[in-house]
Amino acid sequence: MTKVAKGFIFGLILIVAAIMPACRAKKAPPAPKVVPTETMSTAPPVPVTTTETRVVNPPDFVQPTPQPTITTEPLPSDIETLNRVAEQRGYLQDAFYAFDESTLSGDAQTALTTSANWLRKNPQYNLLIEGHCDERGTEQYNLALGDRRANSAKEYMVALGVDGSRIRTVSYGEERPFDPGHDEAAWAKNRRAHLVIVGK
Amino acid sequence: MTVAVLLASSLHAQTQIHPEINRTQATTIVRIAVPRPETALPFEAVDAPFFAPLTRDLASSGVFAIAPIPPNVAVNADLAKAANAEFVLSLKINRDEQDVVLEARLIDSGGGSQFARRYRGIPAVLTRMAHMLANDLVRAVNGRPGIFLSHIAFASNRSGFYEIWLMDWDGTNQRQISNHRGLAILPSWSPDNDRMVYTLFSGGRSEMYVINRLGGGRIHVQTGVGLNTSATFSPISNDIAFVGSVNGNPDIYVIRDDATNLRRLTSSYSIESTPEWSPNGRQITFTSGRSGTPQIYVMDAEGTNVQRLSFEGDWNDDATWSPDGEQIAYTSRVSGRFQIRIANVITKQSRIIAGEGSNEQPTWSPDGRWIGFQSNRTGRWQIYRMRVDGTDLTQLTFEGENKDPDWSKKAE
Repeated sequence: MTKVAKGFIFGLILIVAAIMPACRAKKAPPAPKVVPTETMSTAPPVPVTTTETRVVNPPDFVQPTPQPTITTEPLPSDIETLNRVAEQRGYLQDAFYAFDESTLSGDAQTALTTSANWLRKNPQYNLLIEGHCDERGTEQYNLALGDRRANSAKEYMVALGVDGSRIRTVSYGEERPFDPGHDEAAWAKNRRAHLVIVGK
Repeated sequence: MTVAVLLASSLHAQTQIHPEINRTQATTIVRIAVPRPETALPFEAVDAPFFAPLTRDLASSGVFAIAPIPPNVAVNADLAKAANAEFVLSLKINRDEQDVVLEARLIDSGGGSQFARRYRGIPAVLTRMAHMLANDLVRAVNGRPGIFLSHIAFASNRSGFYEIWLMDWDGTNQRQISNHRGLAILPSWSPDNDRMVYTLFSGGRSEMYVINRLGGGRIHVQTGVGLNTSATFSPISNDIAFVGSVNGNPDIYVIRDDATNLRRLTSSYSIESTPEWSPNGRQITFTSGRSGTPQIYVMDAEGTNVQRLSFEGDWNDDATWSPDGEQIAYTSRVSGRFQIRIANVITKQSRIIAGEGSNEQPTWSPDGRWIGFQSNRTGRWQIYRMRVDGTDLTQLTFEGENKDPDWSKKAE
């Protein structure tokens, strides 16, 4: 459809929408009379109680994850702030991996699906995927493993419809850990494909 | 080169190596008495720059043992007998205008001169003279060159960024070579000891660079593929083997150092990494995950005839060949910790050396007597060296974190 045709139809809808209430007002019937009914006036009074029930969640109650606030604020223009905002709002989510693995877990696929959806809606941005590893492997092999992780994430997002030419990959192996600790909690954070928005 | 090695005419006839000590004693330790140099200069002026490094070199050579000097014996054959040594090293240091002239003579217990040589240079080269003399003495007795002018390239973050650094074989004279202010790692020497190839991370890319030992002549080798890690020069040609990747499939590639003639040597779907040429350039070891865990394999330099070399350890990487091509050293995970393993290439028999902490990235000294490696036993990565039997452990770096050691291929 051409822009002119689109504009015409949009204009038409606006005009119709403006006229409709006016038409309805002209033909509106007189306001109905309010007639109190007997059932309402004869209803028994609500009993007043002084006991108080404290409401608590059961121990197995799961707090639902708060949905990211939907905001219409424009995205920041500088790349660094943009990346921070995209991470805070959950637009882009990193994928995490098991030790010496580059296959995507269910959680990793969910994270990448969310990210791919956002990327498809925001075609003005390109993506760098960094492959990272924990410190328990060897430096040289981990550089190759990080390359495979970054590319497994890329392939998944391309399969979800993101243009492959918008995504570049790099492997940092174990060179740039997110958590400098030496325990499983730190290692788990360091085995990831990290998504970074880069300029067009 | 400011050091002039001059054969004095009066000594010339005596520079021949006596057949009696050539090679026959290669496996025995030769006792040598090394009295203080005879010099008009104050001893302090020659001790730190010359005498201390010389005696350190000789004591570490694996060829000489330094005999204690008995008092009041003249520096001649009598001293050899008195010190129960096979040789006395006679040293004379004198000034000749701006130069320092060193005259070194190896005297045997019969009074014969087994080695005599004169070295000349400005005072600033006294340490280099000490290393040259130690190399020449090892060659005179052993028939093989010493390693006292060799260097170890490594990556250090002491400037705030990982850059390529160099040090002398004994850990002295540490100096920064690259200056990218990015992430420069995994240096590897060219066979002529003039250049290093390494990986630079910059702008979200990892690229191959070549730089000369003085920090100049920097070249970006554009391979056209990704990753560009574990780059290593062929010992016999201008080829560089490295790990390249297209679409997340890391494989072993070879490219010429002028960025032409790219060839892919492996094509397995698994991860391939860490190539290293055999000393004759005919074979390449590499790490592959094709069996489920990272293991060491070897192939012909054309990519054919692949065989598995490592069978112990559940994570093996960083294979590197001994200078004689008979053994490989590699990083091997044993009970959850990385250790240095040395294996015979033919029999595949292996043994573990090293100790506390994680010990990785072994590199052979050019004479095959030492292994340099990195360890985190202090809580930070530092570079160490030890003899191939695991003795004489010495820490070489202390500032910042230091890793990826690569010992120069030639002694000089």
